[in-house]
Amino acid sequence: MHSSKLKSIYLSLILAYLCLLLPWSGLALKLRPDFVLLVIIFWLIRAPNLCNVGTAWCVGLFVDLATGGTFGQYAMAYTVTAFFAVVYQRRLVLFNGTQQVFYVFLLLIISQITLLILKTFSGAEALGWSYLLPSITGILLWQIAVLFGLNTGGRSRGV
Amino acid sequence: MMHGFNHKLEQQQTPAFFARGPSSFARLVFFSALSLALMATDSRLQYLISLRQNLVAILHPLQVVANLPTKLYRDTSEYFSTHHYLLDENEQLKQQALEQSIQLQRLNTLALENEHLRHLLKVNKALVQNSVLGEIAHVGRDPFTKKIIVNRGESHQILTGEAVVDATGVIGQVTRTYPLSSEVTLITDKSLAIPIQVERNGLRAIAFGHGRDNTLDLPYLPTNVDIRRGDKLVTSGIDGIYPAGLAVATVSQIEITPDSPFARIICVPTGGVENHRQVLLVSIPKVDVLPKEENKDLSATKEQTKIDAKSPSQNAVEKTPTNQQPNNMSKPNALQ
Repeated sequence: MHSSKLKSIYLSLILAYLCLLLPWSGLALKLRPDFVLLVIIFWLIRAPNLCNVGTAWCVGLFVDLATGGTFGQYAMAYTVTAFFAVVYQRRLVLFNGTQQVFYVFLLLIISQITLLILKTFSGAEALGWSYLLPSITGILLWQIAVLFGLNTGGRSRGV
Repeated sequence: MMHGFNHKLEQQQTPAFFARGPSSFARLVFFSALSLALMATDSRLQYLISLRQNLVAILHPLQVVANLPTKLYRDTSEYFSTHHYLLDENEQLKQQALEQSIQLQRLNTLALENEHLRHLLKVNKALVQNSVLGEIAHVGRDPFTKKIIVNRGESHQILTGEAVVDATGVIGQVTRTYPLSSEVTLITDKSLAIPIQVERNGLRAIAFGHGRDNTLDLPYLPTNVDIRRGDKLVTSGIDGIYPAGLAVATVSQIEITPDSPFARIICVPTGGVENHRQVLLVSIPKVDVLPKEENKDLSATKEQTKIDAKSPSQNAVEKTPTNQQPNNMSKPNALQ
């Protein structure tokens, strides 16, 4: 049971990573949702015993590798996000659809703001409000996935 | 619906107080500390460079897979491009080739003439830089930096620091090399500066990338500086990285405010990154080869001046020793 679930976790993470590696450019690059983080949040909610803060950190390192930034920036952002997801995991499963979407949106924003703080420390310039667009597209993607039957444990659909 | 409910029940059944390992907060503290240590190591020390290179090499197959869809799309659209379009393009290219061949002929004569004149003036030869053609694999994924990834890397003898040029002008510099690809920081990136010269009056300055917009700044120039809107900026070549005379940017806006002693000059880069797929990576000539050549040149010119200084009669007498020139050249230090 566990091994099959573990396999699907790794497979979905690799797929999300492939989505990240696609040659995005221009407007698509600005709108690109954080696929990897969305998949991690999903597994943190669904299988907190298999996917934990450490998993998020490891995956974050690979995202750092793909973006070519300083090692550890995405890893730290994902760690912080994963912590907030795990802390409220019990409640998240019991939330109804709207509450859950709101909370996931908050998690995406937390990850982006952590990254913004880290990048600002290393001398990057602020990018304006358009920087937060990936969170919005990310939550849209989440909602679409839920509408297509992805079970994220939202109460309203179970009853 | 029942299935979903059962599933959730199963979730709740996992006993929380068995085998959960350290608490989430402990994990957060541990992994945050680890990330901070990694960040410090990566930005201040050189330990992680080879690790990064190896990991990127391992991930290369994934990257190839990710690039497949666009490659497939491009190939098929090329395959189905119409006969008419190809004819048009062919004609255009022929015309371009003709124009450029005429320019090239002129360039050849000019280059010869230039060499001749340099020889007469006994100036050192201008550096010859060789270049490698690369293709843009994808645009950098970090929204904070302006970077592109080119499909030429260490295995193609690409070194960090090489200038990257496209058909219309300079676009950036190689900042990181991987075994099969390399990372190019664009001139519009905040961290990159490029020495330039105003084409109209030869004024030298340094252009900095703006970072946010696709523009360049010319800071620290006084308000009375002789720069006008529309001025072309070319590389000055005094840095030994960029070949001299390549187009960099055009001045688009000059703001002079009474409260600042400096003019605010904004330029738009000439080279287009989104428009082209091919770029040239211009390598820096190797430093250990150069001084020998310079010495050779110097020794040769010294020999000549020696001969010139002497009277014709002496010159005739000394004709035979000049045949030993190669001998002298082998130890140029003795001559200097």
